[in-house]
Amino acid sequence: MLTIVAGLFTLAIGAGFVGALSGLGGGVFIVPGLVILAHVPMHIAVGASLISVVATSAGASVAFVRDGWTNLRVAMILECATVTGAVTGAYMAGAVSPPILEMIFALMMLQSAYFSLHKHGDEIQSHSDPLCARLGLGGKVLDDAGVMRPYGVVNLPGGAVLMVVAGVLSGLLGVGAGAVKVTAMDYLMKLPLKVSSATSNFMIGVTAGAGALVFLARGDIATVVAAPVALGVTAGALAGSRVLPHVNVGALRILFVVILLLIAIEMGWRALNGI
Amino acid sequence: MENAKSATAEEDRILRDWTPRILRTILIVSSIILVIGIAATAAQVPGYYVRRFYAVKHGHVQGSEKFATLVAHMRHGDPRSIMTIGLYILTLVPLARVAFTFFLFLKERDYIFVAATAYVLAGLIFGVMLGRIG
Repeated sequence: MLTIVAGLFTLAIGAGFVGALSGLGGGVFIVPGLVILAHVPMHIAVGASLISVVATSAGASVAFVRDGWTNLRVAMILECATVTGAVTGAYMAGAVSPPILEMIFALMMLQSAYFSLHKHGDEIQSHSDPLCARLGLGGKVLDDAGVMRPYGVVNLPGGAVLMVVAGVLSGLLGVGAGAVKVTAMDYLMKLPLKVSSATSNFMIGVTAGAGALVFLARGDIATVVAAPVALGVTAGALAGSRVLPHVNVGALRILFVVILLLIAIEMGWRALNGI
Repeated sequence: MENAKSATAEEDRILRDWTPRILRTILIVSSIILVIGIAATAAQVPGYYVRRFYAVKHGHVQGSEKFATLVAHMRHGDPRSIMTIGLYILTLVPLARVAFTFFLFLKERDYIFVAATAYVLAGLIFGVMLGRIG
Protein backbone atom coordinates (compact mmCIF):
# COMPACT_ATOMS: atom_id res chain seq x y z
CA MET A 1 0.00 0.00 0.00
CA LEU A 2 2.75 2.41 1.02
CA THR A 3 4.49 1.98 -2.34
CA ILE A 4 1.36 2.90 -4.30
CA VAL A 5 0.45 5.86 -2.05
CA ALA A 6 4.05 7.11 -2.08
CA GLY A 7 4.22 6.66 -5.88
CA LEU A 8 0.99 8.60 -6.50
CA PHE A 9 2.00 11.25 -3.97
CA THR A 10 5.43 11.71 -5.58
CA LEU A 11 3.94 11.86 -9.07
CA ALA A 12 1.46 14.48 -7.87
CA ILE A 13 4.13 16.56 -6.11
CA GLY A 14 6.15 16.60 -9.35
CA ALA A 15 3.08 17.58 -11.41
CA GLY A 16 2.12 20.33 -8.97
CA PHE A 17 5.68 21.66 -8.82
CA VAL A 18 6.19 21.78 -12.60
CA GLY A 19 2.64 23.09 -13.06
CA ALA A 20 3.33 26.01 -10.70
CA LEU A 21 6.72 26.81 -12.26
CA SER A 22 5.38 26.70 -15.81
CA GLY A 23 2.19 28.60 -14.91
CA LEU A 24 0.10 25.90 -16.61
CA GLY A 25 -1.26 24.29 -13.42
CA GLY A 26 -0.99 20.73 -12.12
CA GLY A 27 -3.78 19.21 -14.22
CA VAL A 28 -1.83 19.48 -17.47
CA PHE A 29 0.82 17.16 -16.00
CA ILE A 30 -1.19 14.99 -13.58
CA VAL A 31 -3.56 13.53 -16.22
CA PRO A 32 -0.76 12.22 -18.51
CA GLY A 33 1.23 11.23 -15.40
CA LEU A 34 -1.61 9.02 -14.16
CA VAL A 35 -2.45 7.63 -17.63
CA ILE A 36 1.09 7.01 -18.90
CA LEU A 37 3.03 6.22 -15.71
CA ALA A 38 0.41 4.81 -13.32
CA HIS A 39 -1.73 3.16 -16.07
CA VAL A 40 -4.94 4.64 -14.68
CA PRO A 41 -7.86 4.83 -17.19
CA MET A 42 -8.30 8.26 -18.78
CA HIS A 43 -11.73 9.10 -17.30
CA ILE A 44 -10.55 8.23 -13.76
CA ALA A 45 -7.41 10.35 -14.24
CA VAL A 46 -9.63 13.24 -15.38
CA GLY A 47 -11.78 13.01 -12.23
CA ALA A 48 -8.76 12.86 -9.89
CA SER A 49 -7.14 15.75 -11.72
CA LEU A 50 -10.23 17.98 -11.48
CA ILE A 51 -10.18 17.57 -7.69
CA SER A 52 -6.47 18.40 -7.52
CA VAL A 53 -6.96 21.49 -9.72
CA VAL A 54 -9.54 22.81 -7.20
CA ALA A 55 -6.97 22.34 -4.42
CA THR A 56 -4.08 24.01 -6.25
CA SER A 57 -6.21 26.94 -7.41
CA ALA A 58 -7.38 27.56 -3.82
CA GLY A 59 -3.79 27.44 -2.53
CA ALA A 60 -2.23 29.57 -5.26
CA SER A 61 -4.96 32.19 -5.55
CA VAL A 62 -4.78 33.14 -1.86
CA ALA A 63 -1.61 35.21 -2.37
CA PHE A 64 -2.79 36.70 -5.70
CA VAL A 65 -6.11 37.88 -4.19
CA ARG A 66 -4.46 39.25 -1.04
CA ASP A 67 -1.86 41.16 -3.06
CA GLY A 68 -4.45 42.69 -5.38
CA TRP A 69 -3.39 41.06 -8.69
CA THR A 70 -6.73 39.30 -9.22
CA ASN A 71 -9.54 41.25 -10.90
CA LEU A 72 -12.41 39.80 -8.88
CA ARG A 73 -15.21 41.49 -10.85
CA VAL A 74 -13.91 40.20 -14.19
CA ALA A 75 -13.61 36.74 -12.60
CA MET A 76 -17.20 36.78 -11.28
CA ILE A 77 -18.64 37.72 -14.68
CA LEU A 78 -16.54 35.28 -16.72
CA GLU A 79 -17.22 32.40 -14.30
CA CYS A 80 -20.79 32.35 -15.69
CA ALA A 81 -19.25 31.23 -19.00
CA THR A 82 -16.63 28.83 -17.59
CA VAL A 83 -19.11 27.05 -15.28
CA THR A 84 -21.56 26.58 -18.18
CA GLY A 85 -18.76 25.04 -20.22
CA ALA A 86 -17.34 22.95 -17.36
CA VAL A 87 -20.66 21.31 -16.43
CA THR A 88 -21.26 20.55 -20.13
CA GLY A 89 -17.73 19.17 -20.57
CA ALA A 90 -17.85 17.01 -17.43
CA TYR A 91 -21.22 15.59 -18.48
CA MET A 92 -19.87 14.85 -21.96
CA ALA A 93 -16.75 13.20 -20.47
CA GLY A 94 -18.94 10.34 -19.23
CA ALA A 95 -19.95 9.55 -22.82
CA VAL A 96 -16.80 10.31 -24.88
CA SER A 97 -14.47 7.36 -25.54
CA PRO A 98 -10.94 7.46 -23.98
CA PRO A 99 -9.10 7.64 -27.35
CA ILE A 100 -11.07 10.75 -28.32
CA LEU A 101 -10.29 12.33 -24.92
CA GLU A 102 -6.60 11.45 -25.36
CA MET A 103 -6.54 13.02 -28.82
CA ILE A 104 -8.20 16.24 -27.57
CA PHE A 105 -5.70 16.24 -24.68
CA ALA A 106 -2.80 15.94 -27.13
CA LEU A 107 -4.12 18.94 -29.12
CA MET A 108 -4.56 20.88 -25.86
CA MET A 109 -0.89 20.18 -25.03
CA LEU A 110 0.14 21.65 -28.38
CA GLN A 111 -1.89 24.80 -27.64
CA SER A 112 -0.24 25.04 -24.20
CA ALA A 113 3.23 24.63 -25.77
CA TYR A 114 2.45 27.41 -28.28
CA PHE A 115 1.11 29.60 -25.45
CA SER A 116 4.31 29.03 -23.39
CA LEU A 117 6.46 30.22 -26.30
CA HIS A 118 4.35 33.20 -27.32
CA LYS A 119 3.50 35.18 -24.18
CA HIS A 120 3.62 38.80 -25.30
CA GLY A 121 4.45 42.00 -23.44
CA ASP A 122 2.47 43.62 -20.69
CA GLU A 123 0.74 46.46 -22.58
CA ILE A 124 -1.93 48.36 -20.67
CA GLN A 125 -5.30 49.33 -22.20
CA SER A 126 -6.05 52.84 -20.97
CA HIS A 127 -9.89 52.86 -21.27
CA SER A 128 -12.70 50.31 -20.97
CA ASP A 129 -15.33 49.94 -23.70
CA PRO A 130 -18.88 51.07 -22.71
CA LEU A 131 -20.10 47.62 -21.52
CA CYS A 132 -17.02 46.93 -19.38
CA ALA A 133 -17.09 50.50 -18.03
CA ARG A 134 -20.78 50.04 -17.10
CA LEU A 135 -19.85 46.88 -15.17
CA GLY A 136 -16.86 48.55 -13.49
CA LEU A 137 -14.43 45.90 -14.73
CA GLY A 138 -11.34 48.12 -14.95
CA GLY A 139 -8.72 48.16 -12.22
CA LYS A 140 -5.26 49.27 -11.21
CA VAL A 141 -1.97 47.48 -11.62
CA LEU A 142 1.68 48.14 -10.81
CA ASP A 143 3.62 48.73 -14.03
CA ASP A 144 7.27 47.78 -14.62
CA ALA A 145 8.38 51.09 -13.11
CA GLY A 146 6.53 50.31 -9.88
CA VAL A 147 3.85 52.95 -10.53
CA MET A 148 0.18 52.10 -9.91
CA ARG A 149 -1.65 52.63 -13.22
CA PRO A 150 -5.35 52.24 -14.10
CA TYR A 151 -6.21 49.77 -16.87
CA GLY A 152 -9.32 49.26 -18.95
CA VAL A 153 -11.09 46.13 -20.17
CA VAL A 154 -12.69 45.54 -23.58
CA ASN A 155 -14.57 42.85 -25.57
CA LEU A 156 -16.37 41.02 -22.77
CA PRO A 157 -18.56 38.99 -25.19
CA GLY A 158 -15.51 37.70 -27.11
CA GLY A 159 -13.76 36.75 -23.87
CA ALA A 160 -16.89 35.01 -22.58
CA VAL A 161 -17.16 32.83 -25.72
CA LEU A 162 -13.56 31.65 -25.29
CA MET A 163 -14.27 31.05 -21.58
CA VAL A 164 -17.07 28.62 -22.50
CA VAL A 165 -14.51 26.72 -24.60
CA ALA A 166 -12.06 26.78 -21.65
CA GLY A 167 -14.79 25.41 -19.38
CA VAL A 168 -15.67 22.56 -21.77
CA LEU A 169 -11.98 21.60 -22.04
CA SER A 170 -11.62 21.73 -18.24
CA GLY A 171 -14.58 19.44 -17.57
CA LEU A 172 -13.71 17.10 -20.43
CA LEU A 173 -9.96 16.76 -19.78
CA GLY A 174 -9.53 17.47 -16.05
CA VAL A 175 -7.32 20.52 -16.57
CA GLY A 176 -7.67 24.13 -15.47
CA ALA A 177 -7.40 25.32 -19.11
CA GLY A 178 -5.43 28.29 -17.79
CA ALA A 179 -3.67 28.77 -21.14
CA VAL A 180 -7.04 29.33 -22.87
CA LYS A 181 -8.31 31.60 -20.08
CA VAL A 182 -5.19 33.77 -20.10
CA THR A 183 -5.37 33.95 -23.91
CA ALA A 184 -8.97 35.19 -23.69
CA MET A 185 -8.22 37.87 -21.09
CA ASP A 186 -4.83 38.92 -22.42
CA TYR A 187 -5.43 38.92 -26.21
CA LEU A 188 -9.19 39.57 -26.46
CA MET A 189 -10.02 41.60 -23.35
CA LYS A 190 -6.64 43.39 -23.14
CA LEU A 191 -6.11 42.85 -19.43
CA PRO A 192 -2.46 43.18 -18.29
CA LEU A 193 -0.72 39.76 -18.44
CA LYS A 194 -0.08 39.56 -14.67
CA VAL A 195 -3.74 40.38 -13.94
CA SER A 196 -4.87 37.82 -16.57
CA SER A 197 -2.70 35.09 -14.98
CA ALA A 198 -3.87 35.85 -11.41
CA THR A 199 -7.54 36.12 -12.46
CA SER A 200 -7.28 32.89 -14.47
CA ASN A 201 -5.81 31.11 -11.44
CA PHE A 202 -8.70 32.33 -9.30
CA MET A 203 -11.34 31.25 -11.84
CA ILE A 204 -9.79 27.82 -12.38
CA GLY A 205 -11.01 26.69 -8.93
CA VAL A 206 -14.67 27.36 -9.74
CA THR A 207 -14.34 25.91 -13.26
CA ALA A 208 -12.70 22.71 -12.04
CA GLY A 209 -15.05 22.60 -9.02
CA ALA A 210 -18.06 22.58 -11.35
CA GLY A 211 -16.60 19.64 -13.28
CA ALA A 212 -15.49 17.84 -10.10
CA LEU A 213 -19.00 18.06 -8.62
CA VAL A 214 -20.44 16.33 -11.72
CA PHE A 215 -17.82 13.54 -11.40
CA LEU A 216 -18.32 13.20 -7.60
CA ALA A 217 -22.11 13.09 -7.84
CA ARG A 218 -21.85 10.52 -10.64
CA GLY A 219 -19.55 8.37 -8.45
CA ASP A 220 -16.76 8.58 -11.03
CA ILE A 221 -14.04 9.71 -8.60
CA ALA A 222 -11.70 6.95 -7.44
CA THR A 223 -10.88 8.05 -3.89
CA VAL A 224 -7.79 5.82 -3.59
CA VAL A 225 -6.28 7.80 -6.48
CA ALA A 226 -7.84 11.24 -5.97
CA ALA A 227 -7.00 11.64 -2.25
CA PRO A 228 -3.18 11.18 -2.42
CA VAL A 229 -3.08 13.05 -5.75
CA ALA A 230 -4.96 16.09 -4.33
CA LEU A 231 -2.61 16.24 -1.33
CA GLY A 232 0.51 15.75 -3.46
CA VAL A 233 -0.39 18.31 -6.13
CA THR A 234 -1.20 20.88 -3.44
CA ALA A 235 2.16 20.31 -1.73
CA GLY A 236 4.00 20.44 -5.07
CA ALA A 237 2.21 23.63 -6.14
CA LEU A 238 3.00 25.34 -2.83
CA ALA A 239 6.67 24.34 -3.17
CA GLY A 240 6.69 25.52 -6.79
CA SER A 241 5.19 28.92 -5.91
CA ARG A 242 7.86 29.38 -3.18
CA VAL A 243 10.70 28.51 -5.60
CA LEU A 244 9.23 30.52 -8.50
CA PRO A 245 10.63 33.96 -7.52
CA HIS A 246 14.17 32.52 -7.28
CA VAL A 247 14.44 30.71 -10.63
CA ASN A 248 14.89 31.92 -14.18
CA VAL A 249 11.59 30.69 -15.63
CA GLY A 250 12.57 31.97 -19.09
CA ALA A 251 15.45 29.49 -19.18
CA LEU A 252 13.12 26.65 -18.13
CA ARG A 253 10.48 27.53 -20.74
CA ILE A 254 12.14 25.45 -23.47
CA LEU A 255 12.22 22.48 -21.09
CA PHE A 256 8.48 22.90 -20.35
CA VAL A 257 7.71 23.10 -24.07
CA VAL A 258 9.71 19.90 -24.72
CA ILE A 259 7.80 18.12 -21.92
CA LEU A 260 4.46 19.34 -23.34
CA LEU A 261 5.40 18.17 -26.85
CA LEU A 262 6.48 14.73 -25.54
CA ILE A 263 3.16 14.42 -23.67
CA ALA A 264 1.27 15.48 -26.83
CA ILE A 265 3.10 12.83 -28.90
CA GLU A 266 2.51 10.05 -26.31
CA MET A 267 -1.18 10.92 -25.78
CA GLY A 268 -1.73 11.29 -29.53
CA TRP A 269 -0.05 7.92 -30.16
CA ARG A 270 -2.20 6.23 -27.49
CA ALA A 271 -5.32 7.78 -29.04
CA LEU A 272 -4.43 6.55 -32.53
CA ASN A 273 -3.74 3.04 -31.19
CA GLY A 274 -7.03 3.04 -29.28
CA ILE A 275 -9.29 4.16 -32.13
CA MET B 1 -20.84 58.32 -9.34
CA GLU B 2 -18.45 58.83 -6.40
CA ASN B 3 -20.76 56.76 -4.16
CA ALA B 4 -20.79 53.92 -6.70
CA LYS B 5 -16.98 53.98 -6.87
CA SER B 6 -16.57 53.89 -3.10
CA ALA B 7 -19.09 51.02 -2.81
CA THR B 8 -17.09 49.05 -5.40
CA ALA B 9 -13.86 49.76 -3.50
CA GLU B 10 -15.48 48.59 -0.25
CA GLU B 11 -16.72 45.38 -1.93
CA ASP B 12 -13.23 44.83 -3.27
CA ARG B 13 -11.64 45.34 0.16
CA ILE B 14 -14.02 42.88 1.86
CA LEU B 15 -13.50 40.32 -0.92
CA ARG B 16 -9.69 40.60 -0.71
CA ASP B 17 -9.85 40.31 3.07
CA TRP B 18 -12.22 37.36 3.39
CA THR B 19 -11.69 35.29 0.24
CA PRO B 20 -8.19 34.05 1.24
CA ARG B 21 -9.47 33.14 4.73
CA ILE B 22 -12.35 31.09 3.29
CA LEU B 23 -10.10 29.36 0.75
CA ARG B 24 -7.37 28.55 3.28
CA THR B 25 -9.72 27.28 6.02
CA ILE B 26 -11.61 24.84 3.77
CA LEU B 27 -8.36 23.67 2.15
CA ILE B 28 -6.83 22.86 5.55
CA VAL B 29 -9.96 21.08 6.86
CA SER B 30 -10.34 18.96 3.71
CA SER B 31 -6.61 18.08 3.68
CA ILE B 32 -6.80 16.87 7.30
CA ILE B 33 -9.84 14.68 6.48
CA LEU B 34 -8.07 13.25 3.40
CA VAL B 35 -4.97 12.40 5.48
CA ILE B 36 -7.20 10.71 8.10
CA GLY B 37 -8.93 8.76 5.29
CA ILE B 38 -5.63 7.55 3.80
CA ALA B 39 -4.33 6.64 7.29
CA ALA B 40 -7.58 4.75 8.00
CA THR B 41 -6.94 2.46 5.01
CA ALA B 42 -3.87 1.14 6.89
CA ALA B 43 -6.19 0.06 9.72
CA GLN B 44 -8.34 -1.97 7.31
CA VAL B 45 -7.84 -5.63 6.46
CA PRO B 46 -4.46 -6.22 4.75
CA GLY B 47 -4.51 -5.43 1.03
CA TYR B 48 -7.62 -3.19 1.19
CA TYR B 49 -5.96 -0.22 -0.52
CA VAL B 50 -4.04 -2.34 -3.04
CA ARG B 51 -7.17 -4.27 -4.08
CA ARG B 52 -9.11 -1.05 -4.54
CA PHE B 53 -6.28 0.52 -6.54
CA TYR B 54 -6.06 -2.44 -8.95
CA ALA B 55 -9.85 -2.43 -9.31
CA VAL B 56 -9.59 1.25 -10.29
CA LYS B 57 -6.86 0.44 -12.81
CA HIS B 58 -9.35 -1.91 -14.45
CA GLY B 59 -11.89 0.90 -14.62
CA HIS B 60 -14.02 -0.05 -11.60
CA VAL B 61 -15.22 2.85 -9.44
CA GLN B 62 -17.69 2.71 -6.57
CA GLY B 63 -20.56 4.47 -8.36
CA SER B 64 -22.97 7.07 -7.05
CA GLU B 65 -23.94 7.00 -3.35
CA LYS B 66 -26.36 9.05 -1.29
CA PHE B 67 -24.71 11.64 0.93
CA ALA B 68 -26.48 10.24 4.03
CA THR B 69 -25.03 6.78 3.27
CA LEU B 70 -21.53 8.26 2.96
CA VAL B 71 -21.88 10.03 6.31
CA ALA B 72 -23.18 6.85 7.99
CA HIS B 73 -20.24 4.84 6.61
CA MET B 74 -17.82 7.56 7.66
CA ARG B 75 -19.09 7.32 11.23
CA HIS B 76 -18.15 3.63 11.18
CA GLY B 77 -14.63 4.53 10.06
CA ASP B 78 -14.96 3.45 6.41
CA PRO B 79 -11.84 4.99 4.79
CA ARG B 80 -13.37 5.37 1.33
CA SER B 81 -16.31 7.31 2.76
CA ILE B 82 -13.96 9.49 4.84
CA MET B 83 -11.92 10.31 1.73
CA THR B 84 -15.06 10.97 -0.35
CA ILE B 85 -16.37 13.40 2.30
CA GLY B 86 -12.92 15.08 2.30
CA LEU B 87 -13.12 15.47 -1.48
CA TYR B 88 -16.67 16.89 -1.26
CA ILE B 89 -15.44 19.44 1.31
CA LEU B 90 -12.58 20.34 -1.02
CA THR B 91 -15.05 21.10 -3.81
CA LEU B 92 -16.85 23.35 -1.32
CA VAL B 93 -13.93 25.79 -1.69
CA PRO B 94 -15.27 27.40 -4.88
CA LEU B 95 -18.91 26.94 -3.82
CA ALA B 96 -18.34 28.73 -0.49
CA ARG B 97 -16.37 31.49 -2.17
CA VAL B 98 -19.12 32.14 -4.74
CA ALA B 99 -21.83 31.99 -2.03
CA PHE B 100 -19.90 34.54 0.02
CA THR B 101 -19.60 36.95 -2.90
CA PHE B 102 -23.31 36.46 -3.72
CA PHE B 103 -24.33 37.68 -0.25
CA LEU B 104 -21.78 40.49 -0.35
CA PHE B 105 -23.12 41.81 -3.67
CA LEU B 106 -26.67 41.42 -2.34
CA LYS B 107 -25.78 43.49 0.72
CA GLU B 108 -24.22 46.15 -1.53
CA ARG B 109 -27.24 45.98 -3.91
CA ASP B 110 -24.95 45.40 -6.86
CA TYR B 111 -27.65 43.48 -8.76
CA ILE B 112 -25.76 42.69 -11.95
CA PHE B 113 -23.14 40.83 -9.90
CA VAL B 114 -25.87 39.30 -7.69
CA ALA B 115 -27.30 37.80 -10.88
CA ALA B 116 -23.86 36.65 -12.08
CA THR B 117 -22.95 34.90 -8.83
CA ALA B 118 -26.47 33.41 -8.53
CA TYR B 119 -26.02 31.96 -12.03
CA VAL B 120 -22.64 30.44 -11.06
CA LEU B 121 -24.11 28.96 -7.85
CA ALA B 122 -27.05 27.54 -9.79
CA GLY B 123 -24.58 26.08 -12.32
CA LEU B 124 -22.61 24.33 -9.57
CA ILE B 125 -25.80 22.90 -8.02
CA PHE B 126 -27.08 21.89 -11.46
CA GLY B 127 -23.77 20.05 -11.98
CA VAL B 128 -24.46 17.90 -8.89
CA MET B 129 -27.99 17.12 -10.13
CA LEU B 130 -26.67 16.29 -13.59
CA GLY B 131 -24.07 13.94 -12.06
CA ARG B 132 -26.80 12.21 -9.99
CA ILE B 133 -28.88 11.39 -13.05
CA GLY B 134 -25.80 10.03 -14.80
